[in-house]
Amino acid sequence: MTLDLAQFHDTFFEESFEALDSMEAALLKLSAGDVDAELINTIFRVAHSIKGGSATFGFTDVAAFTHTLETLLDQLRAGKRQVSPGLVDVLLRSCDLMREMLEATKQKQPMDKGRVATLHGEIETIMKSAGSEPAGKSAAAAPAPVVMLSGESERSGWRIHFVPGSKLLRNGNDPLRILRELHTLGPCVIRVDAKYVPPLADLDAEECRLAWNAELSGDIHEDQVRAVFDWVEGECELMLEAFGPVKAKVSTAAPAVVAPEVPPAPVAAPAAATPTATPTATPTAAPAAAAVSAAAPAAPVEAARATNAGEGGSIRVSIEKIDELLNSVGELVITQSVLSQLAAAIEGREAEELRSALGQLERHMRSLQESVMRVRMLPISFVFNRFPRLVRDLGQRLGKKIELRVVGDQTELDKTVLEKIGDPLVHLVRNSIDHGIESPEVRLAAGKSAHGLIELNAYHKGGNVIVEVTDDGGGLKRDKILAKARERGLVGPDEELSEERVYNLIFAPGFSTADVVSDVSGRGVGMDVVKRNINELGGHVQIHSTPGKGSMVRIRLPLTLAILDGQLARVGNEVYVVPIVSIVETMQVRSELVNSIASKGEVFRLRDEYLPIVRLYDLFGIEPDHTELLDGLMMIVEADGKRVGLFVDELMSQQQVVIKSLETNFRPVTGLAGATMLGDGRVALILDIPGVITRFQSKETRRDAAQRAA
Amino acid sequence: MTPPVNTTVPAAGAKPVAGQIVLGAACTIHEAQALRAYLLERAGHPGPYEIDGGGVEQIDTAGLQLVVAFALDCLERSIHYTWKARSPVLEEAIQMLGVAPLLESPGAVSYSPGGAA
Repeated sequence: MTLDLAQFHDTFFEESFEALDSMEAALLKLSAGDVDAELINTIFRVAHSIKGGSATFGFTDVAAFTHTLETLLDQLRAGKRQVSPGLVDVLLRSCDLMREMLEATKQKQPMDKGRVATLHGEIETIMKSAGSEPAGKSAAAAPAPVVMLSGESERSGWRIHFVPGSKLLRNGNDPLRILRELHTLGPCVIRVDAKYVPPLADLDAEECRLAWNAELSGDIHEDQVRAVFDWVEGECELMLEAFGPVKAKVSTAAPAVVAPEVPPAPVAAPAAATPTATPTATPTAAPAAAAVSAAAPAAPVEAARATNAGEGGSIRVSIEKIDELLNSVGELVITQSVLSQLAAAIEGREAEELRSALGQLERHMRSLQESVMRVRMLPISFVFNRFPRLVRDLGQRLGKKIELRVVGDQTELDKTVLEKIGDPLVHLVRNSIDHGIESPEVRLAAGKSAHGLIELNAYHKGGNVIVEVTDDGGGLKRDKILAKARERGLVGPDEELSEERVYNLIFAPGFSTADVVSDVSGRGVGMDVVKRNINELGGHVQIHSTPGKGSMVRIRLPLTLAILDGQLARVGNEVYVVPIVSIVETMQVRSELVNSIASKGEVFRLRDEYLPIVRLYDLFGIEPDHTELLDGLMMIVEADGKRVGLFVDELMSQQQVVIKSLETNFRPVTGLAGATMLGDGRVALILDIPGVITRFQSKETRRDAAQRAA
Repeated sequence: MTPPVNTTVPAAGAKPVAGQIVLGAACTIHEAQALRAYLLERAGHPGPYEIDGGGVEQIDTAGLQLVVAFALDCLERSIHYTWKARSPVLEEAIQMLGVAPLLESPGAVSYSPGGAA
């Protein structure tokens, strides 16, 4: 019987990296003084699992290191050692090192053994030190656990129902080892349930048909019990029930827990042999019980699982497969559009039925599309999770006290967007720590708390995801930014800018000089790259700041980069797709509402505000059908808080379009987000409204400059 | 790696006799098929049986489950069996897995570790 363990390597690495992320998050909470037994158990479990997996797969270096780490964590868990900043620091570095070791092992690259040995040595030194014991406690005195387990004192043990899966033995797991480990936790009474054991002649020698009920006594945390079963998770049914002075309910917190009773044997079995037998049941009754169940049903776990067919679960699917699926759905959307367009031209008795059926198809397509899109959605916590460590490390290095607050970390967005937003966010947070938040002394002198605050906030708004990075630091210094911009010729000497436009100057390429870094809190450094990256995602970035109070960078991102709800608009022979999320309203503009401002272009009055008129034909150099405003339509569109009127010849239908990158297939064009294929086979350009406004403004600026020069 | 051990050969090298069952030194999943075949062959002989586990040096759940299945078969067929000996390794496994009650033949004197039945 040869088992190729290599087939499990990828899963092991993937799960280990995820587990290390959890470990790091738990360590950071410990670091923040939130000492909690559950946190310590989480950390311990990660080390325990990685050690076990590494040993199984023969990654001896990783196994050896994690074994030592696990021993240290066990001391922590047992209350023999106190949490201290120094210890957390070592544990965080161990977490980093394990990540590196696993990555090196995965890539089949050598690891710097010197670094491993150094940290290994540090951990061993800590373990040998007695200084962590609470002062005044003699060795003989039972030290009070540093970490009090909530409600633990009320428990006196656990009832464990353990039903191995039929393949558990073949996979190299042995209940004997598991139960032996259980005994190490405390006094344990084990009762076997043999009712599924068939006659010897029918028994598969490598299939486990025994099950167990155990009663483990002692002040033992649930996680300690679960840790024993770590390596058979998913291969067994496990039910834990706390017992003690206060009756605890059946635990349902752990993964892979299914809590059904093993179905009764076909022939009535004595109560003592059932999983729910009382702990005091005489074990001698068991043989008879087992004997009468000779006609054994399917293996215990499978039998139990049969009763849980509705249980949820998850599978890992490669992103390529999901992308293929998404692409196919995209093509289906186009095909459906073609069909709808063809059906619209058909007349006759059956045409209505066809259109009705196509309407139904469209609804199903939308549902399918949304389902596929949801598969690609991940919570932004995947990105946010890296910041506690960043804030802690950078804050420590700079001698700043910083609290990180995360809001809305379960907000979901497309995986591709998520992957690309990470670096810009890191840049923004680093800037906030480095240049936004003041030193404790400066803050105290300014009447602020010594602790600075950085808040990450994510939420959905109007088909977009908004991510805000806010700090309560010194804020941007408007005058200095403006002076610098004038010095660099970015702003005319007499030109007055709104606050928003002044702050936006820091996104200008080349504006972020070292001089600016020191003078204006360094907000210019790399901000142009941040903005470019976000724009490339189809997102937009805005900055708000109040001197002395802090700054906020708001990023607006599309939920997805693949599909867009669009309004088709025609200008001459061209069809443009206007993202529906950008459209405020559409109207016909009467000439009396239009004003021409000297050398500033046209505006029209919409209720209480004047909006610039962007003639799309003029912007893209197309021959229109109409140039008179009354003959065409004005679409009021909005982006980044700015509204303009987009003048087009006519509106066509609304439809979902599959975005094809213009940059990949042609080149980036300001004002265009991409292209798509319409139902009739024509290519339509998708407008990027913020880009349209930018393009319009720069065109107006040039026109204005040309007129002045003339 | 456990060296292969022929479970069908009595550890002490004693001549097999009808009704006598001698467990080999290794009774793990690696030897499970052979052990199963051996026990089935022994079960073909009329009882009562005497099981000698004194030579068991390695045993796991798979091995012990086979012994349990054999014992349950005996129970069902009302065949009496006794234990001649159980090695410390076997005894520890029996206790850990909680199968001791299943390995006591009805009417037999309870087996005491270290002594004969």
